[in-house]
Amino acid sequence: MASSDWLNIRGLVENIIGWSMDKTHDLMPKEIDLQFTITPPEGIWPSDIVIGSILRPQEGFANIQPALEGFFSASIICTIVFVTMMLALLPITYIERKLGARLMDRIGCTTALRSLWVGESGVTAGDWWDRLPFGLGGPIGWLNRFLNSIWGNNHKLDTVSRVNNRSWHGYWFLLPGIVNSFADFTKFAGKEHIVPKNADRAVFEIAPVIIISTTVLVFAFIPFGPHYYASNPELSVIFMMAIFGVAPLGVFFAGWSSNNKYTLIGGMRSAAQLTAYEIPLLITVLGVCVISGSFNIIEIVDFQYESGIWNIFLMPLGAALFLITMIAEVERIPFDMPEAEAELVEGWWTEYGGIRWGLMFAAEYMRSFAACVLFALFFLGGWEAPFQTLFESLPIVGGLVEFGFSLIPGIVWVIIKSYVLFSFFVWIRFSLHRVRTDQILEFGWQWLLPLSIFNLALAFILRIELWDNGWNLIAPISMTALGVLGFIILAVDEDKEALEEMRRPYNSRTIVKASPGTHKENDNDAIRKAYSVYAGTINSPTSGGITDKELIQ
Amino acid sequence: MAEMWISMGPQHPMTHGLWTLKVKVDGETVVDTEPDLGYIHRGVEKICESRDFTQITTYCDRLCYASANTWSHSYIYAVEDLLEVEVPERAEYIRLIAVELQRIASHLMWLGAYAPDIGNLTIMVWGLREREMMMDLLQELGGSRMHYNFPRVGGVKRDLPHGFAQRARAKVSLFLNRIQEYEALYDESTIFLIRTQGVGYSKPEEMVNHGVSGPNLRAGGVNYDVRQAHPYSVYHELDWEPPVERPSIKGADCYDRYRVRIEEMRTSANLILEALDRIPGGADTYHEPGDPMILGKSPSRAPEGTSGFHHFEDSRGESMFYIAGGGEGRGKQPYRVSIRSPIFITIPYAAKCMIGHKVADIPAIMGSFDPCIGETDR
Repeated sequence: MASSDWLNIRGLVENIIGWSMDKTHDLMPKEIDLQFTITPPEGIWPSDIVIGSILRPQEGFANIQPALEGFFSASIICTIVFVTMMLALLPITYIERKLGARLMDRIGCTTALRSLWVGESGVTAGDWWDRLPFGLGGPIGWLNRFLNSIWGNNHKLDTVSRVNNRSWHGYWFLLPGIVNSFADFTKFAGKEHIVPKNADRAVFEIAPVIIISTTVLVFAFIPFGPHYYASNPELSVIFMMAIFGVAPLGVFFAGWSSNNKYTLIGGMRSAAQLTAYEIPLLITVLGVCVISGSFNIIEIVDFQYESGIWNIFLMPLGAALFLITMIAEVERIPFDMPEAEAELVEGWWTEYGGIRWGLMFAAEYMRSFAACVLFALFFLGGWEAPFQTLFESLPIVGGLVEFGFSLIPGIVWVIIKSYVLFSFFVWIRFSLHRVRTDQILEFGWQWLLPLSIFNLALAFILRIELWDNGWNLIAPISMTALGVLGFIILAVDEDKEALEEMRRPYNSRTIVKASPGTHKENDNDAIRKAYSVYAGTINSPTSGGITDKELIQ
Repeated sequence: MAEMWISMGPQHPMTHGLWTLKVKVDGETVVDTEPDLGYIHRGVEKICESRDFTQITTYCDRLCYASANTWSHSYIYAVEDLLEVEVPERAEYIRLIAVELQRIASHLMWLGAYAPDIGNLTIMVWGLREREMMMDLLQELGGSRMHYNFPRVGGVKRDLPHGFAQRARAKVSLFLNRIQEYEALYDESTIFLIRTQGVGYSKPEEMVNHGVSGPNLRAGGVNYDVRQAHPYSVYHELDWEPPVERPSIKGADCYDRYRVRIEEMRTSANLILEALDRIPGGADTYHEPGDPMILGKSPSRAPEGTSGFHHFEDSRGESMFYIAGGGEGRGKQPYRVSIRSPIFITIPYAAKCMIGHKVADIPAIMGSFDPCIGETDR
């Protein structure tokens, strides 16, 4: 049973094309008589001379009609999917900008998000609820004011409050973030294209083409809905992952051909990092394919549809691995070493400017978006509503819920899930620091690769042992419980002492150990010996039990 | 990969100013470094020779854009030593409050600049958000937001305005709470710890030999704070202790330097709260500008052959002013002004600390030393 919804874009386009082709076929004349018969005078030629022929347009058209239909419908569907993807990208930059700004400007994440509509310090985003007719919006205003009075960053002093209120931008707080991308594009498109003097010009020009085209091509195999895809080959996962892996080559080309030391280091880092994270990523995706029993993305979603259990509940480890490796693949913080702006200016794209830079930047976000959509498809049930099967099987309201869900096309769920995931990406970006190159590679090879192989083995066991015997709820519940347990164990470090040592709590009056492992308890004598070099001239904190004040006097 | 020189600067995100760090790298490893300074040399010392003693304060404000107040105070103490001026105690307390506010603002600027160095933009905005509060307070005192021109020879420009004490207490207490947020984002982040711990060791004895001072030295376990070692102003009357970090045997790493600055902000905040309580005449009374409570009498001319000297705990280390007065009938103007910049001395040592680390560690190490090129090139 394949999933489906009413937004049957493919069927619609094929129907329209087929109908118009049929009409074209019918409009064509059956025969065009272009035959001329010349009757020569008697004796010159034995028979009539026939020049020309009878054209049969309908017959000829009928021969090429399937090919034409295929071509037109494919182009139209590709255009529709491409436009959908581009339109879906606009909010991506908006989310990055807005959520990032809130996280940066506010005290905490929850306050940050709420301030979007509540406003802070008594300033709300326009009191829009007061303008609703018949005072319908009154309760919203009460709720907002109530929330603001509890959690708002109000301070009784104006000068303190002012600091909290800096990012409020007025009534049109929603719109500018989305239109901004068009403004950016115009700016990039209007800029001069500069090729560095000593750059390898051909490769320098080819690299952006490789990066951008392969990135766009990834979306050819990503379905947004059961009928909302550009192309659906049998092995679409393999095809897509292969294309996903071409871009690093372009990155390396770009880094090498720019003939700049920063781009060279950035390109090298990129090549090393992407190679190291491609392997665990592929093995993790392989685990998804194994558990779903298909290399086709739509069938993977259908599997989750049929079993009623999202893959994230079956393999939480796989989901975590996929998320981590994908963040590394799309080069976002904390794994954005190739474009570390602190030391490498802009990494491998330092020398690019204008529309090439703009498109590569867009490609970066496309890759992030593709990663989010893929996570939604592989692990979050794709176009299935959250807990749809559970709700639909409810005794009384089940039918109603089913009808309600059937009204929402699948693309809505895919897009919502991917935006939520992208918000998670943004959250990570604005809370974590950048990891060093050697630490990234160490983490990749030492942890992610073995874990992904373990995950693959787990997927085999689940599939062979449990699926064939029919699912019961024990498998997903136990796997999820194990995953949550592991997360809690990792989050709450049991060895509190080691954690305290690692943080090295500040204490100026007692001698404490510095970082764990760098020196041992009895090394204090050695420290004292090291300090004795200058202890005579400058008061050392380690010179016995005398306080520093006494030493100064 | 073959070794190559990378010239980081003069315009480079790592530099926090205008200077060049030439780095010799072997792949990702730093093999050799060579700092190159002097891009924004303005000749402040020479300009000072043709200005009155009172005019020079504004030039000293501009020595460091992140910590203007400490530099003008540093100069004022030297010129008061030269002119032998008695400063009223209330003025000394107001100066202490202004300088410690500036120290917090400067360290917040450092915190905000250090975060993007290791890839986190959130802390940058958080740090600048709290710096805004300190700048508002300093604006109430000096009238300006960056270059306050607050101290006067013999006192201060203005008394604490009405309500200043209340606002300062509120903001400083709020700030003391918010330091915990920085610690939550920094100290509890494993990535921050692996990026800073064990990176950029600076040995205390080497730092002493090089002349590195201030928080960088105290991060190495050396308890040398000019405010305590050679007390000036009213620091000896307040109850406080300079924060000193306990480094490992290898020396102070970036994490130690980060910790010592966070703790110094705490110390400064507590100093401000204490000074507001103990200020003679009470923090809520107001005296007109020029009142003998806040401005002592001072001669405008320095006789020939006299000299003034003062060393001062700047936000970045020990700043020194040496002023030779008088000479050739120019009693109102100094004969020679010499400025010791702490960061001018620190940068070559910081560049040495990077050798052996990765390219990615360069901003982490350099940023942890808190360079300010305005005062370095003066």
